[in-house]
Amino acid sequence: MISPELKQVILKQLNLDDFDIKDETTAPEVPGWDSLNHINIILAIEEHFKVKFKSYELLRLRCVGDLQKLLDSKLGK
Amino acid sequence: MLFNFDLYKIYEQLKFIPDSPLIFSTSLFLILFFFFLLIYNLFIKNKTLRLAWLILFSFYFYYKSAGYYAGILIVSAAVNFLSGKWIASTEKFSLKKLYLLLALIINLGILSYFKYTNFILQIFHDITNSQFEPLDIFLPIGISFYTFKSLNYVFDIYFDTLKPTNSFRDFCVYVFFFPNILAGPIDRASDFLPQIDKEPFISKEDLGRAIFLIILGLFKKVVIADYISINFVDRVFDFPLRYTGIENLLAIYGYVLQVYCDFSGYSDMAIGISLMFGFRLMENFNYPFKATSIANFWRRWHISLSKWLLDYLFRPLQMKYRNLRVYGNMIGIFITFLICGLWHGAGWNYIYWGAMHGFMMSFALLIQKPKTKFYNLLKINNTKFLTIIQTIITFHLVAISFMIFRSSDIQTVFDMFSQIFTFFHGEVFIQFIERLPLISGLIFLGYLFHFMPSKLENMIINQFAKTPAIGKIIILVIAIWIAAQFKTADIQPFIYFQF
Repeated sequence: MISPELKQVILKQLNLDDFDIKDETTAPEVPGWDSLNHINIILAIEEHFKVKFKSYELLRLRCVGDLQKLLDSKLGK
Repeated sequence: MLFNFDLYKIYEQLKFIPDSPLIFSTSLFLILFFFFLLIYNLFIKNKTLRLAWLILFSFYFYYKSAGYYAGILIVSAAVNFLSGKWIASTEKFSLKKLYLLLALIINLGILSYFKYTNFILQIFHDITNSQFEPLDIFLPIGISFYTFKSLNYVFDIYFDTLKPTNSFRDFCVYVFFFPNILAGPIDRASDFLPQIDKEPFISKEDLGRAIFLIILGLFKKVVIADYISINFVDRVFDFPLRYTGIENLLAIYGYVLQVYCDFSGYSDMAIGISLMFGFRLMENFNYPFKATSIANFWRRWHISLSKWLLDYLFRPLQMKYRNLRVYGNMIGIFITFLICGLWHGAGWNYIYWGAMHGFMMSFALLIQKPKTKFYNLLKINNTKFLTIIQTIITFHLVAISFMIFRSSDIQTVFDMFSQIFTFFHGEVFIQFIERLPLISGLIFLGYLFHFMPSKLENMIINQFAKTPAIGKIIILVIAIWIAAQFKTADIQPFIYFQF
């Protein structure tokens, strides 16, 4: 499950009012989430949750569910 | 006696001949491919024999093109197969990184030795102002393609998006696979490896598409690219000052079309040839001159390389510099395209070419917001008018970059521009069409075909697929005959126009 907080950070960064983001959603499926905008989303998440990802960890993400898992592991959940 | 002599002649043809790679548009390849298909279909139910035959034929294909350097393939296959295994065998990130580094050093070390040693030594001698005798290093054809192809397997395992294969035989099929070994597409192991397991199934539509792509590729490569290059483009690029501005301009348009037809034609043939025995390769070109921006151009041109660079070079760089935000993207793009240039060849022209694309794309990022505001102000955003203007500008920027790509010294580029701007003589255009109807017709047709709606091409393919087998064979034979006429045609005489 994608937490409402993570979803909100992503939607805000993409200037979207709402979008159904599920575990298996991939970046290209979300309007505006392209390869260039990707770093803005990652930075927004790092700033909001006060975490720091390693490049290696980010490069192996396949879908938003993976991103949620990575974030949870950083937050000690 | 006569029999012995003929056998020897056949042997001479079949062994490695330097500078004469076994490209698809040669009659020898067509004959060998026919025998390959025949035996492959005999073994179709027996996976072991079928794959062994494919590996053997692929290895021979590469030997024919690169001689004993074909041994590099075995090294490449072994190194990357083991690297993938080792990376996946450990959970320790530091060890994974070490194995990846090792694979990169060996792969890029081999590539650099063959491709860049003389270039690096040349730069060193230029700096120290000393005499330089290039070393006698043979450049194994296709090495940049199969090095990158093998590396994506290792990267995907490192990023944990692919499980390594347990079969060295399957991995050899992937690395040696003859249709894409000389000039791509740089296929993904994740797409290719699962296909090896399946028994080949070629539907009627697949066969139609395969033959259509082979015919299309043959036309693009032999009829358009080779013919206009020998008879027109090369002459102007060799001595631009002998020709008027309009001829220089037409030669530039001709060269852009030539590069496209040469390269995409070869990819079409590779995709068609693979499809004939049940393998689907990735698309490599998608009407690149319809692009409305340079970034869009790279999503349509040499897609297998641009996707490779995006995934394994740009993304890691982008992540590394992400704190710099848009500047991080710009740095990532610029470095990626510098490397992209160098990948194409060891020469300054390739580096300038890459730098130009890197600069254009980074600059576009910087002005993205003001540009959109400006378009909105003029009320032309998302209009057909803007699309046409953007397509024309993008095409000409790409054309300028290809002039740099083609010219071993930058003076040629300046000379061509000088002729276009100071010695144009537009009236020569009519004479050009009258005196060189075939060349001008081919250039016109090439572009016409490129800019027609893609639906039309699909319609032709579908129609072709429905044609009975005998019809397909007749069309194929006619196409090969036409290509042969162009291949053996006498070189057209030089023509100087009056102005």
